[in-house]
Amino acid sequence: MAITQAMCTSFKTELLTGTHNFTNGANSIKLALYAISSGGKSSSTATLGATTTAFTTTGEVASSGSYSTGGGALTNVTPTSSGTTAFADFNDLSFTTATITARGALLYNSSASNKAVAVLDFGADKTSTSGTFTIQFPTANSTSAIIRIA
Amino acid sequence: MISVDVGMDVGKIDVMTSNEGGLSSDQIAEMARKKIIYIADDAPPAIRDQAQVFADRVEDTLRYYIDLAKREERGTITQTLRNAGHTDIAEYIRRL
Repeated sequence: MAITQAMCTSFKTELLTGTHNFTNGANSIKLALYAISSGGKSSSTATLGATTTAFTTTGEVASSGSYSTGGGALTNVTPTSSGTTAFADFNDLSFTTATITARGALLYNSSASNKAVAVLDFGADKTSTSGTFTIQFPTANSTSAIIRIA
Repeated sequence: MISVDVGMDVGKIDVMTSNEGGLSSDQIAEMARKKIIYIADDAPPAIRDQAQVFADRVEDTLRYYIDLAKREERGTITQTLRNAGHTDIAEYIRRL
């Protein structure tokens, strides 16, 4: 039972078959939050990693405040490149007046049968209590961006 | 044989949380600073130190104006409520 940060292997294959389009206004990429202990919506806890192929409700945190099960829609920043590295980025995402404990998140493409993109590991449980839960994406450059192809 | 090496990576995200209300000015200023200034881990020490000083000043400035924006917004809300006859609520918000 763990959440391991990874680019989903199925996503790599799907890139080669033209399944995903991260252009702003194209595919709807969502971010769902997961717990590995308390905070999960069911008794099952999340097991996410490179082998994850699609969005799952197992271990997803319960709806609270502005967070609804299924997660929040991200605003895509149209991919670009620097040097030999191409990268994608998203605007930060906040859930307000929410009571949430999450250990990680799954990026998935709700425009493509909820196929998984990447698993994000927070490193530790992150908790908001009747407050704001914000995910800040890294600087969009060739060394830090959230999704990079070098 | 022809081969092409391609590497894919997932970046590190930050999570900011708050209790019993929204994010603080400190948290918002830190988030904004991270979007404005990126200091590479492998930057030469002298450059990294200079960049860190600059980043700290940017964050201080952001914090000041975020606080100012909050106060001014509360002032506008307070006056709007007073004009509508909700003096008790207006006073409550003014004291936040």
